[in-house]
Amino acid sequence: MIRLEQVSFRYANSDALRLRDVNLEIPEGELALVIGPTGSGKSTLLGCINNLVPQFTGGVRSGRVLLDGIDTTSLLPRELATTVGYVGQDPLAGFVTDVVEEELAYSMEQLGFSPSEMRRRVEETLDLLGIADLRGRPLRNLSGGQQQRVAIGSVLASSPRILVLDEPSSALDPVAAEDVLALVSRLVRDLGTTVVIAEHRMERVIEFADSVLRVDAGGSVTHGPTREVLAGSPIRPPLVELGVRQRWDPLPLTIREGRRHAAEARRGWVEQPPTLPAPPGAGPVTLAAERIVVRYPQVVAVAGVDVTLRRGEVTALMGRNGSGKSTLLWALHGAGRRDAGTVRGAEAGQVALVPQTASDLLYLASVAAECANADAEAELAPGSTLEVLQQLVPGIDPQSHPRDLSEGQKLAVVLAAELSRRPGVILLDEPTRGLDYSAKQALNGILTQLAEQGHSIVVATHDVELVATTCHRVVVMAEGEVVSDGPTRDVLPGSALLATQVAKVTNPVPLLTVEEFLDALH
Amino acid sequence: MPSTEHTDRTSPLVDVAAPVVGVQLGWRSWSIIIVSSVIGLFTIAWPLLMPAVDVAPQHADDAPYVFAFLLPVVLMLVIAQISDGGLDAKALALLGVLSAINAAIRPVLGAGTAGVESIFFLLVLAGRAFGPGFGYLLGFTSMFASALLTAGVGPWLPSQMLCAAWVGLGAGLLPRKLGGRAELLVLIGYGIVAAYLFGALMNLWFWPFISGISIDGYPGGSGSLDYVPGAPPGDNLVRFGWFTLVTSTAGWDTGRAITTTVALLLLGRPVLGVLRRASGMARVIADPC
Amino acid sequence: MGRYFLPRPIHPFAWWVWAIALAVAANGTTNPLLLAAIVAVASLVTFARRGDNPWARGFMVYLVLGAAIVVVRVAFRVLFGGGDGPTVLLELPEVPLPWWVQGIRLLGPISLEAVLAGLYDGLRLATMIICLGAANSLANPKRLLASLPGALYELGTILVVAIGVFPQLGESVLRVHRARKLRRSPAGRGRRRRHKVVETILIPVLSDALERSLRLAASMDVRGYGRHGTASTNERRWTTSIGLAGLVVVSVGAYLHLSRTAPGPTLLGFNVVSLGLLFAGGLLVALAMRRAGRTVNKSTYRPIRWQGAEWLVVLCGSAMVAAVTITQRSAEAAVLVPAISPPTWPELTTGLLLGLLAAALPAFLTPAPSLADVRVLNTAEGLS
Repeated sequence: MIRLEQVSFRYANSDALRLRDVNLEIPEGELALVIGPTGSGKSTLLGCINNLVPQFTGGVRSGRVLLDGIDTTSLLPRELATTVGYVGQDPLAGFVTDVVEEELAYSMEQLGFSPSEMRRRVEETLDLLGIADLRGRPLRNLSGGQQQRVAIGSVLASSPRILVLDEPSSALDPVAAEDVLALVSRLVRDLGTTVVIAEHRMERVIEFADSVLRVDAGGSVTHGPTREVLAGSPIRPPLVELGVRQRWDPLPLTIREGRRHAAEARRGWVEQPPTLPAPPGAGPVTLAAERIVVRYPQVVAVAGVDVTLRRGEVTALMGRNGSGKSTLLWALHGAGRRDAGTVRGAEAGQVALVPQTASDLLYLASVAAECANADAEAELAPGSTLEVLQQLVPGIDPQSHPRDLSEGQKLAVVLAAELSRRPGVILLDEPTRGLDYSAKQALNGILTQLAEQGHSIVVATHDVELVATTCHRVVVMAEGEVVSDGPTRDVLPGSALLATQVAKVTNPVPLLTVEEFLDALH
Repeated sequence: MPSTEHTDRTSPLVDVAAPVVGVQLGWRSWSIIIVSSVIGLFTIAWPLLMPAVDVAPQHADDAPYVFAFLLPVVLMLVIAQISDGGLDAKALALLGVLSAINAAIRPVLGAGTAGVESIFFLLVLAGRAFGPGFGYLLGFTSMFASALLTAGVGPWLPSQMLCAAWVGLGAGLLPRKLGGRAELLVLIGYGIVAAYLFGALMNLWFWPFISGISIDGYPGGSGSLDYVPGAPPGDNLVRFGWFTLVTSTAGWDTGRAITTTVALLLLGRPVLGVLRRASGMARVIADPC
Repeated sequence: MGRYFLPRPIHPFAWWVWAIALAVAANGTTNPLLLAAIVAVASLVTFARRGDNPWARGFMVYLVLGAAIVVVRVAFRVLFGGGDGPTVLLELPEVPLPWWVQGIRLLGPISLEAVLAGLYDGLRLATMIICLGAANSLANPKRLLASLPGALYELGTILVVAIGVFPQLGESVLRVHRARKLRRSPAGRGRRRRHKVVETILIPVLSDALERSLRLAASMDVRGYGRHGTASTNERRWTTSIGLAGLVVVSVGAYLHLSRTAPGPTLLGFNVVSLGLLFAGGLLVALAMRRAGRTVNKSTYRPIRWQGAEWLVVLCGSAMVAAVTITQRSAEAAVLVPAISPPTWPELTTGLLLGLLAAALPAFLTPAPSLADVRVLNTAEGLS
């Protein structure tokens, strides 16, 4: 269905090859997962399928692209609109109109479908996606998951045979992400659509992926069966990591397979429980908040929450979207609304908060200028922020434009600006959004380093794997209240939603990470 | 691999230059722009130009309404011509977004009453960054979007659109080679001139409507600031001069000039940087590196 | 018949034709009674048949604007010479101006005639603007954009994008502004800093919006925007030539219409040559537009079809114009321009009343606007 022959690509004003001699063939009705570190050229590869790369981005591409046996190498993206449906990361940015129904019809309008045909297909698409009740709603009032479903629907309506999805769930919370990925798997099964998907939550996709495309740093692409490619991949989900390290064969892709492989180990642990690493001793209290209330005209966002933060402790703040995590962080910092309650320890400059969209704080033309500005604002010696930044993430070019950085790097720049003021407490609002495995590992390193330096850290996040490796304590919120608060090992494994992959495999033994699993065996 | 049938062929090369946002203006577009500008200028400045072409004073009462119908027809043709062939999705999306921003800034930074007031700094900067064709279209679409979104559609809209389009076109035609401080100074100078000219033209359009037209034998006499058909152009120019001075030059136009200057001084360079970056930003849809 | 009255939106062009017809009728008179009646008719139809979208609620603004225009027009009469009439209402002293201010009179006696002239003229302009306001409220601009001819398809798309992006900008500004609060250092406030705040908010919002716009462009590209073929150079050259010719012919027609001595015969008081030229020029422009839009083979989702109700609306508007035009040509023409010196009480004739009645009919004889807008609004409010 999709065939790339000897495809290489570089941007117009650079000599570095982004893709090098790519040869691959994806048969009809298959789902291919694209993996690779951020910036490796995943999106470039996806863009090559419908010629967005290079027709839209500019650049030089050699080699041949064949879709369904037809040479489409030199066609324009719009000429492929009925063949390839393409959905990007941020659904809201791709919407042309402002109402669900009109958005679904937009593509067909451009292609000149007759009104009656359009009407019929819009109704079908609404049902297929289960969003018939949203038909007249303004797009920006929808939740992220609903928006992404509309975005997929808007390309499906003109019934393309190939669907290309570029990280469709990276901006979504886990429940919405699952929703969207379930929809994708249904499309493959029920409609036989050929799907190519780049996805950093690979553990959700690998079980129904037919093959995996791995894009490596040099721009070369490895294509093969899921297990084979993953086994040789530097980034892989914890379950696969565990399987590789334990030499399980076949490599487990689902929890069920993992549990079968681990049955023996689990039986051993029932007889002789493994020694678990002890939680670190609690330091002195740095911030104590009592009975925090934040009330908006329609809702109570935070309903009387007590929080105590200790020196050197990393706390995870979890809970579904809209449960009041973000509001609580802003109330603790003092910049947000607080209707009742007291916060001790949040004296001027003692609490730093990195907002969800870190790039909102960046407005200068280079990283160096941003750092110098942060120095001036905090009245520090010139260069201190840049120094902190180099410690956090080595290798950022100070002259680069902040908006050209990856999400993780932008986060680091904002974090460095905050850190240069030496706050005792650091609050991070969903820093993991849009980060892939390697970026999360870097974040993990940064947080551990800061905690060792004696900061108290709170991370609002949905990412259980990051919580398991980094956080000492977990606070779970729902409807503005704290529903559980305790050491990570007590809170995570017991929960169906929050358990890590390893915890699900070892349940009832509360092991959280691959490292712990391996240590427990010896 | 079943690629044997292809291996003997040379591998095709698709070479696309780095994208530049802009709107191409060919000779066809220019000819329409020039003709429409002449007609448009006449429909706005007719009170002062009419004696030169000998139009009957007894029809002067009709003139503003005839022109109010004529101008939209002219504009439709111009827009159709310029967008025909020269507009890719990038320019189009950028025009839409910048129009929305202009429409949003208008009521915030300028006291917009019925669309009389507006500020130009983004229009001038976008014209500068993306060229005359883009600036020209942005003038049209900004005023139209602003009318739809905030200010309201009225008979003044077509002339406003045309004047704003001239402002954008002019900004795009400023000498290319300038840079740094000189560029900013030229843009500020241009912004001030454009603010007053725009104000004067809009006042000229409003003049017969607001002050009135003095017609011989019309009962009730006339105000001394009214347009007098058939009077020497000099006389009418003086009356108009006082009308515009009294109504807006001291207030709105100067206000507009000051806002434009201050905005260009403070934001000119960073905004220009952001806009110019947009030209090369097409790769944001692919991987950042 | 039952199907005729099922709620549905009326074609936006029909409302615009109706409103422009009312404005044309208003242009032909200074009779304050008639003008007030036209405003009343426009308001009645607007309140009866507007949808529930944000634009529909804008009608009040036009009413206020109309009132402001009347006040300004009268104020100009009073301030700059209102003395040309026998019935002096108020003796104000004339402010002496220096010699170089030629021919301008400031204040001075105010006559009833001058005030009435200002009032009548102002009322006429206000009525026309209120008529356009009615069209603005009755015809959903989004529907209007969807019905634009193919040649203006790009313009329509730009405006659709702008309307879609506009509310996102507000959210973006709020988000960035909130984030800025995190960075506010206690020291160093003052004017310079306040200016800097504009920069710290505008630059991220603008950068964000531009990045979005490119994502949007990519999304439009892959969804088939602009897939229609392009006309050949030769065809385009013809289109341009026809358009240019149309512009010139229309301009000459307009000039002749306004000129002192239009050549040629007259028919029913209209000059045949100038009218013919205007018509021919309009035709040429329409032809050029048609040719320019020929390559666009875009279709419209759920288009509003032009049906009986649309014809009715157009007919009702035309009836008003006809009533005024016939009165102009009849012995009762003086009714349209009531005498000011000496002032007479304005009156209406049966013909004009019938015209007004016809113009008001769409308030009762058209289907009600569809309730979809209402439903959308309720759900939207329930969410926020």
